[in-house]
Amino acid sequence: MKSISLYVDKESFIHDFDPITKLLYILFALFLPLILLSFTVSFISVGVSIVLLMAAGVIRKTIPVFSFVFLVLITVVIIQGLFRPENETILFQIGPLAMYKEGLLYALTITLRVMNIVSAFLILVLTTKPSDLVETLVRKGMSPRIGYVIVSVFQIIPEMMASMSTITDAQRARGMETEGKLSVRMKAFLPLLGPVILGALINTKERALALEVRGFNSHVPKTYLYEEKTHALSKWVQAILLLLLVGAGVWRIFG
Amino acid sequence: MNKIVVEGLKYKYPLSDTLALDDLSFQVKEGEFIGIIGKNSAGKSTLCQALVGLVPHFYKGAYGGKVFIDGLEVKNQTIADISLKVGMVFQNPFTQVTGSKMTVYEEIAFGLENIGIPRSEMIARIDYVLDLLKIEQVKDQNPFDLSGGQMQRMAIASIIAMKPDILVLDEPTSQLDPAGSEEVFQAIQSLSKQGITIILAEHKMEKVALYCHRVLLLDDGKMVDINTPGKIFSRGDLEQHGVAAPVYTRVCKELGVRKAGTSEFPVTLAEAESVLRGRKI
Repeated sequence: MKSISLYVDKESFIHDFDPITKLLYILFALFLPLILLSFTVSFISVGVSIVLLMAAGVIRKTIPVFSFVFLVLITVVIIQGLFRPENETILFQIGPLAMYKEGLLYALTITLRVMNIVSAFLILVLTTKPSDLVETLVRKGMSPRIGYVIVSVFQIIPEMMASMSTITDAQRARGMETEGKLSVRMKAFLPLLGPVILGALINTKERALALEVRGFNSHVPKTYLYEEKTHALSKWVQAILLLLLVGAGVWRIFG
Repeated sequence: MNKIVVEGLKYKYPLSDTLALDDLSFQVKEGEFIGIIGKNSAGKSTLCQALVGLVPHFYKGAYGGKVFIDGLEVKNQTIADISLKVGMVFQNPFTQVTGSKMTVYEEIAFGLENIGIPRSEMIARIDYVLDLLKIEQVKDQNPFDLSGGQMQRMAIASIIAMKPDILVLDEPTSQLDPAGSEEVFQAIQSLSKQGITIILAEHKMEKVALYCHRVLLLDDGKMVDINTPGKIFSRGDLEQHGVAAPVYTRVCKELGVRKAGTSEFPVTLAEAESVLRGRKI
């Protein structure tokens, strides 16, 4: 089945780490550059994330994500370079448009921060099964209902898309035009929505019934099929990340 | 001992003007295998859901009379509590997939996790039901990638794994081929022999006649009769109630052959064979 999750099923030491450590790493990558406010730290942080992504063997999967992010960042660079109020030093000029040093430096900061956050998130998203992540969070006290909603989306959306294409085929078999000009396609879309939405509502009711009889609302403490995923080094990695963060904070305040 | 007691059960769905269940009363003993038959919209599914508490707790609507499961009144219990005693398998296997599990194995574990079964016990039970319903070979597949029949077996397996005292099955073999539905019936029968009480709504009359101890005939929400398959299928008014007797019974009715010493017609292949072979041609 087509999955809408970005998870890459591979064996690597990054995959072996538990989701909590990866979540902590995101916090670490997010706050360290904010606390230390230096280009070098941001560069190192992005670099570390990218090395980890390569170690996990998922670097190729990051290319589409990064290219989308860059598309957004280019506009930031252009706008900040041209129009930032603090702009003074002209770096170069193209016709009437002048690029300023201050704006470009500021754009570089933003670019690094975004890269930093995106790459840290990608480590979590690409190397953790959504169901593992949610199960860990439920163990830590998240409501199983919210957990169910998050995980089921990954399967039920593709399922709805599949039923949409079945209905499209059925309508086409009865002679409905579904290809050609934009206006034809738009017209073809409307009669599909009724069956898809109504069908989804009915399915939701039946699925709710099925969940009820499988004890979904039971008040008995939940048990789990799999043992909680932990890595021998998890505790150490978590401790080091926290220490580094606290250390950076202390250095920033007193240093 | 009576496992299920239904007294004057009446039920009307919200926004509906007619009674879906109209004054039903019957008892089911522990370990009995009861078939529910009747034409479409006779109330079979509603009755099944009334035994699990989905009627009235899930749908609301107007409810009268009493349903006792093991002495506990369904109206005063929550669905979660009743689901520990009564398991239910629905008609449509596609909507019984929870959608939150990536493999058949995990899918079966879903109910067990919710009711707090320890891990070792959980694994033993899953292995047992995978074998019972013959779906070990798909245990690592995604539930949505299964065929209709495999999905239906998985749905039954998921409920059986929860080890209910009473198993309610609403047309559990609608997606299965003849060989597959025979296998499922054999599995259900083996559970019945272990002492599990079984309630089965089904249109395949030959199977009902072969496996059920007693048959409950419903028409328009009213209970016409509850009796042995032989008595029910020998009734003269079956067609008025929208039900056709098993093909063996219909043949024997045409031929006018009854079981020796009774007024009943044969209802299974074996009975029909022995009666017909006994006749001199």
